[in-house]
Amino acid sequence: MFARRFLISFPIFAIVYLIQESIVSQFRIFGGGVSLFLIFALLWSALGTPELGALTGFGAGLLMDLSQTTSGPMGQWTLIMILAGFSISYLGYGDDNFRGNPISLVVIVAIAVPLTRLAYLIIGLMFGSELGSILQIFISLVSSALWTVAVVPLLMPFVTRIHSALFEAESRG
Amino acid sequence: MRNGGDNRGRLLLISLIVTSLFLITLDLRGVQVIDGLRSGSQTALSPVQSVAATVFRPVGNFFSDITRLGRTRGEIEKLTADNEKLRQSLINRTIADAELLELKSVLDLAGIAKYRVVAAKVISLGSTSSFAQTISIDAGTNDGVKENMTVITGLGLVGVVKKSYPNSALVQLASDSAFRVGARVAGSQQIGILSGQGTSKAVLQLLDNQTTLKVGDVILARGSQGNRPFVPGVPIGEVTSVDNTAGAVTQTADVKLFANFSTLSVVAVVVGSPKSDPRDALVPKGPIPIPVPTVTIYATPSGSPKP
Repeated sequence: MFARRFLISFPIFAIVYLIQESIVSQFRIFGGGVSLFLIFALLWSALGTPELGALTGFGAGLLMDLSQTTSGPMGQWTLIMILAGFSISYLGYGDDNFRGNPISLVVIVAIAVPLTRLAYLIIGLMFGSELGSILQIFISLVSSALWTVAVVPLLMPFVTRIHSALFEAESRG
Repeated sequence: MRNGGDNRGRLLLISLIVTSLFLITLDLRGVQVIDGLRSGSQTALSPVQSVAATVFRPVGNFFSDITRLGRTRGEIEKLTADNEKLRQSLINRTIADAELLELKSVLDLAGIAKYRVVAAKVISLGSTSSFAQTISIDAGTNDGVKENMTVITGLGLVGVVKKSYPNSALVQLASDSAFRVGARVAGSQQIGILSGQGTSKAVLQLLDNQTTLKVGDVILARGSQGNRPFVPGVPIGEVTSVDNTAGAVTQTADVKLFANFSTLSVVAVVVGSPKSDPRDALVPKGPIPIPVPTVTIYATPSGSPKP
């Protein structure tokens, strides 16, 4: 049952991935732009169980690794996203006050997005990637947090509805 | 771990992490399948991306412009200023090219006659309020330019230095109505006096009534004593019409001056001339006639028709 529902959520991720790669990537906005897919994946993970979060992170990370714009080795985003998905869902798991509060979700995702990117950067350094300008990295991380704060309230109604429609029975069970 | 801390959850997490590390290892070892996955996904995505780029790129550019508004404005101002500078330098370059061409032609002329010249730029076209036709040049006594020196261009005589200052000089043009120069006709060596008329034409009056002029004759400067104010051999103009009035004491002719006084920009002042007269060496070469192909048609009578 769990696996079936997880598989049903895959087309949703594929659509969001397609939107990210084909539409959102066309917009060159302040701070390096916004990663709709990353925000969506972390928000989705935050609403589920830690197992679901880890699985969501795995699937999302695999898709992110498939992107042509990814510079790191295949599996790097997968590793980061497994840990990020698991961590973000673990933080709010069992605390309905936390999950029921939209502001908490916005804040946790807004913190998680730059932290995930920072973790990707650090792991990338271990694999021999170039660091670049520290100031530029700082601006990019801060602006990604700000963009997340702006985007999550817009995404949240859709994500929570779809998520609850798919996993409500599982969560209750 | 709270409710998620059971063995199943841990096992899932560990197996996922191991899978991802396995993927990384495979990629770093250069396994072709991994590269193929990425290129395959890009192959599948690229048509969608190109359509989206066509549709959404203008919107993206709009947002990009909004976020870069201050920088864009600054960039536009900088580009406008650069454009203005480039336009100015292009104009300057065009002017410099024209001046260079003039200088080259005047030096060519001076070189043939072995004149020693000082090149000068025309800095003023004289007074518009008076009737005298003069120009000011940027060479003066500091450059060796003195009064009563011949001024030429690549086409021929321009005039004579009337006043000389340390860094500039006033030149009376050959078109000035007060201008007089001893002249001779190239080839026949007939001599006369050429007078300016205030236009691009001058009048030549021959001194000998036994000689004749014809249209197209080239008029050269005869030269003065000590080569001042005029050096010999400088082309002045070309006869355009001859006055053959019966009973006239001497023959006169209209002469079209070679120099174009309305476009003067670079001239040369002859500060020294060779001892020998260049004679007709400076007569402008006529246009090279273009051979006209001739076609001869031989008419061959056809055979008489048979009855």
